[in-house]
Amino acid sequence: MNTYTWLVRREFWENRAIWIVPAAIGAALTLAALFGRVDIAELTSPEQSHAVGGMVLFAFGVTFFAVMNIYATWYLLDCLYADRKDRSVLFWKSLPISDTATVVAKLFTGLIAIPLVYFIAADISTLLMAFIISVRAHSRFGSALWQPDLWLQLQALWLYLIVTTAIWYLPFAGWLLVVSAWAKRAVMLWSILPPLAAYLLERWFFGTHVLGTMLQERTLGYASRAFRYPSDFAWVSTVVGHDTITTPGSVWPLLNPLGFLSSPATWAGVAVGAVLIVGAIQLRLRRTEI
Amino acid sequence: MPALIEARDLSKKYGKHIALDRASFAVEPGRIVGLIGPNGAGKTSALRAILGLTPYEGRLEVLGREPFGNRAALMNDACFIADVAVLPAWLRVEQAVDFVAGTHPRFRRDRALGLLAKTQIAGKRRMRELSKGMKTQVHLALTMAIDAKLLVLDEPTLGLDILARRAFYDALVNDYMDATRTILITTHQVEEVENLLTDVIFIDKARIVLALAVDEIATRYAAVAVTEDKIAAARVEKPFYERRTLGKTVLYFETPDFDKLGSLGDVSTPSVSDLFVAKLSGSAA
Repeated sequence: MNTYTWLVRREFWENRAIWIVPAAIGAALTLAALFGRVDIAELTSPEQSHAVGGMVLFAFGVTFFAVMNIYATWYLLDCLYADRKDRSVLFWKSLPISDTATVVAKLFTGLIAIPLVYFIAADISTLLMAFIISVRAHSRFGSALWQPDLWLQLQALWLYLIVTTAIWYLPFAGWLLVVSAWAKRAVMLWSILPPLAAYLLERWFFGTHVLGTMLQERTLGYASRAFRYPSDFAWVSTVVGHDTITTPGSVWPLLNPLGFLSSPATWAGVAVGAVLIVGAIQLRLRRTEI
Repeated sequence: MPALIEARDLSKKYGKHIALDRASFAVEPGRIVGLIGPNGAGKTSALRAILGLTPYEGRLEVLGREPFGNRAALMNDACFIADVAVLPAWLRVEQAVDFVAGTHPRFRRDRALGLLAKTQIAGKRRMRELSKGMKTQVHLALTMAIDAKLLVLDEPTLGLDILARRAFYDALVNDYMDATRTILITTHQVEEVENLLTDVIFIDKARIVLALAVDEIATRYAAVAVTEDKIAAARVEKPFYERRTLGKTVLYFETPDFDKLGSLGDVSTPSVSDLFVAKLSGSAA
């Protein structure tokens, strides 16, 4: 194993929540599938099965993905700060590991390793849940949750989201690392207040909102870059009992990897992210004490 | 042999505060050097610079390298124990061994495990479950298993009881030190280390007050205990420090005339701690 493998491993030793949290969510969802109500309307047509199956599977994925984002954000904000807070930075720095390697390993953990753990946890608990529900409510659900094309779409969507959000939100990740390497306390406040103050000052003194627009564009612009909505895209409405469920017929037409990778905004973000990450490395190089 | 550490006009400022003011010193291979000074004298700043943990002004070479910016490379040949409390609370003993073994090319796992076996600390234990003394033993076992040319210890026994402190230094001298190694220790408790040092560097108020080999003290310094009636005569020889003890006054002399002093009272070689007190109090007066 090389140094990077050890560095990522150590993040898993230190932050056991990386796997405990998704395991807990998985356990909760499995329990819900075991003891929850499954007496929904009977599914009679393949369209109904497809719509309900898709909705349940993606709802599971969204739950994991949302929690993962909150945790990964917190992780990136805390990781360099925690080393200084407990002074263990002086132990890590007594080993022949560069500060660049340390920061890059933490970035990788936050942007790739943690999402992958959640992805795996989501897959395992979704399989369990699907198995339990199809046993408990076979007559109503039938094989709604066992649709290979939906599963394949789910896998693709996870991996696509992990890679594209890691790239698109690199400036945010870089900023969190800068704060984590720099702040003496209250990392949460320091991550929010300076951008907010800069935004307000800009409005008061210049009457412009360049920064606000940039931050808004970075926060919300992801969906329009990584996904597309073709004019002929077919949303499928299915009536189940008293409800009408509208689902995308398939996620494949929505994915827009070429558009994402060819968007200047993507690479502008990568550039800003890289500058911030270099800044975090420089701070890690100099700051050992709180 | 070239010096292992060579500092010339080494300075460190924090804003307007000068933590280290144009310090020049050298550490030769195979020595055990004590960097001794009161709290806040600049010891830690000097060490941080030597270990590449902080930028500095002036010239500094450690093992032939400029430390800042080359810390990772430097740590192949140098290692340090910053303080006993720096092993993170969540780390298991066996994880610590695995991690260092995986990332340090000069770490010898068998040696570390051998040293740990003597301590009877189980590998599954986390640092938060260990006493300060046990943590120090773990850290020392990890560090002594590294084939390093330079070992730097910054107040290594702070907060330890007398038994743990003794054990620490005994292990260091008996199991670690040999002709290929060099140790640099900072402490504000001189008595604790004076018997193992070969060289001392006194530091006070950001400046180097004195740097010499311990066996030079006998020829360069003298302490004379005189009775009341001889004090005036002794003062003619220009002592740099005086201390009253039980009915006698001890006067300290630099580059002494031993024949003259012998006629005034009992001449002795000051211990490192006596010399430290004399030098720092004398320079303050």
